Amino acid sequence: MPAVDTSHTQVKARAQRQSLAQKSVITVYRIFAIAVLYAVLAGVFAYAFVMGFYALNSTWAAPIILSSYDEKSLDFMQKLVISRQTIEDLKVDVTRQQSTLAEMTRQRAALVALDPELQTAIVREREHDQLTGPQLVALDAQKQADNTKTKAMLVQIHQLETQIKSDLASGLITKGDAATQLAALNQAEGAYTDSKIADVLLSDTVIDKTTIGTKALDVLEKQAELRSEIAQLDITVSVAEKQLAEDTRQVDRLRDAISTAKQSPYYLNASGSKRLYFAFVPYDNQANAKPGSAIYDCYLNMVLCRKVGTVKQVFLGEEVISHPIFKTQVRGLTILMDLSHPESAKSQTVFLGRKPMLF
Amino acid sequence: MAPILLWLIMVLCLLISVMKYLMGLILRLTFHGTGIRKDYTYQPKVSVLMPCFNEGRTVYQTIESISKCNYPSESFEVIAQDDCSVDDSYEWMLKAQRDFTNISIRVGRNEFNCGKARTVCNALEHSSAEVIISIDSDCIFHPDAIRELTACFAEPGIGSVGGRVGVSNPNDSIITAIQTMIYYSAFELYKMPENWTRSVCCISGCLFAIRRELLLEIEPAIRARNWFGIPVNQGEDRFLTHQTLLRGYGTYINNDALCWTTVPNTLSVLFKQQLRWRRSIVRDFFFTMRTLPQHVWKLHPNTVLTLVLQPLGALVALLVVVTMLTSDPLAWAGPTPLVVYLGIAAALSWAIKKYSVRETLQHPLAFGAYIAWSLASTLFITPLALCTMDSADWGTRTKEQQEVAVGHAGS
Repeated sequence: MPAVDTSHTQVKARAQRQSLAQKSVITVYRIFAIAVLYAVLAGVFAYAFVMGFYALNSTWAAPIILSSYDEKSLDFMQKLVISRQTIEDLKVDVTRQQSTLAEMTRQRAALVALDPELQTAIVREREHDQLTGPQLVALDAQKQADNTKTKAMLVQIHQLETQIKSDLASGLITKGDAATQLAALNQAEGAYTDSKIADVLLSDTVIDKTTIGTKALDVLEKQAELRSEIAQLDITVSVAEKQLAEDTRQVDRLRDAISTAKQSPYYLNASGSKRLYFAFVPYDNQANAKPGSAIYDCYLNMVLCRKVGTVKQVFLGEEVISHPIFKTQVRGLTILMDLSHPESAKSQTVFLGRKPMLF
Repeated sequence: MAPILLWLIMVLCLLISVMKYLMGLILRLTFHGTGIRKDYTYQPKVSVLMPCFNEGRTVYQTIESISKCNYPSESFEVIAQDDCSVDDSYEWMLKAQRDFTNISIRVGRNEFNCGKARTVCNALEHSSAEVIISIDSDCIFHPDAIRELTACFAEPGIGSVGGRVGVSNPNDSIITAIQTMIYYSAFELYKMPENWTRSVCCISGCLFAIRRELLLEIEPAIRARNWFGIPVNQGEDRFLTHQTLLRGYGTYINNDALCWTTVPNTLSVLFKQQLRWRRSIVRDFFFTMRTLPQHVWKLHPNTVLTLVLQPLGALVALLVVVTMLTSDPLAWAGPTPLVVYLGIAAALSWAIKKYSVRETLQHPLAFGAYIAWSLASTLFITPLALCTMDSADWGTRTKEQQEVAVGHAGS
């Protein structure tokens, strides 16, 4: 019996210990569960409040920290460098084009000056030909008549040669006299031949003087070439002038673009040595985004706000970012902040103009 | 690393769920009934156990529907056990006993309120049948329900068989419309792959048939269920199904065994019901984690996946939804989820209209509101379930209900 009692007591004690352990676990669990449930409840209310707050509030701005290594800044600087290089290239091109243009203008002037001289020479030559041509025609006719006469005389000379040979054979004249007379006869024949040649040459000259020959055509061709060359130069000069004007405009445009780009936050960020603080401002809050507007930073992104600086500059270029709470796409602009508390640049949101909840 | 892991688990759970629905669709279109061998000549003695708590007149209508079943009256009995209702449920039971004399009805009452699971066990003490059918006291049964359930026990190895639960009030409100679609898709699609492998992980307690010897084997475990000393009386259907599977038996849902239940039509009641179910899921998950190493090799892989991933998905979904709401709060409000839900709603309502005319929905596109419900459900019900594991409250049966005179019964 005592053994049974001992066993029963042990079982009872074990059950009591187990019950106590279970009660302890349950107590701890309940405390934990209540804490968790209240935390969940608080979380849900806080979440709903934040959602509601940002759905209604339109004075927020989202600080942006840009580093020199920022992708956009680097991209921006790269484009800037390329633009500057393009300007330099264009300037070299413009200078070269200007000198080429000047050279072409000079060449054109020389050619243009040559043209009237050539024209004058042609006219003068034509006038001379018109004057000497008829004279040569008359002389040619006269020459032909002379030759006809000479030819008749040559027939008589041939008869005289036979008479000389006969006189020599009959001993009426000496050999010397005969040779002299025969030489004189040959000379007369030679003179006749020369006269015919001169007649032919004179005919050629008459043709040259009275008709348009190849020589004249050569001169006209050269005149045409000269004028064509001038026309081509005109075209080239015109194109070069247009190109020059376009390049000059391009240089101006690029200079304007660079000038505008220098007003970009990315340029300021990438080129400046001082740390700059930017913020995105949605268009809904554009009214508050003006130089001098107060900037507030708040705990939990909405309460216990303090002034941390002012708006220094407003950049008009549009930016698109994700809403810091809703993660939807929001359009707006960028501002440069002058922060007295630089750590506020790391806040998720700041507020412009006034405190969002009056405290 | 942790968020990636969460997303991976979530994607895996979603993938498995989608796969199960797709497989269910394929199985429905190809293998009708997923191949169970039914033998309608097998008509064992059946005890219909009906635990009841604060159901009022509904219990009378439930017994009335059972009395009309196509099953030999000498082969079945109804054992109605009242769990100390504070309304007139017990009187309605007695009235049903008097009115429906064509069947054997035994009415009993617990000595004290002890919850549904133990009430079933108490009712079991009065039964001697081969097959035990546990039903909910607020359901209306199809005349062939019992016949369909018992026919499935002809297949060797089947331990528990469930019926298909339909919604009797689909058009009460948006809430009931949503539940109609969920019930329909769950029974007709989601559970099909589990049916195929005879490894359904949760047979609904509305209509739950089990072999007597198996229930007797499980009964001590049911009675002993507790959570650090606090008796557990919720989720007995999931527990019974799980126990059936762990003992090497098959489980099956026969969609031809029909019963109709009235689903909650107000948000508060639905919330309480879902909270109770979520607690059961979480509790079952812990039980699974504890017992899986011992049983993992004898369970079907499909069972293991369902037992682990379904509750894990519910837990992980909470973290995913919280992450989503804090990182991208409006993502859930986009048109894509709405279009997806409305597409599902259109397909499901068409199927319901074609195959389950009684549940035809008047406003099928109300399912679009399921986005909001699923968010609220995931956000609130899971943490609340995790933090109220010690609760024994059934939630949807008020104890302060006023008694109603029985004189109006049957009118």
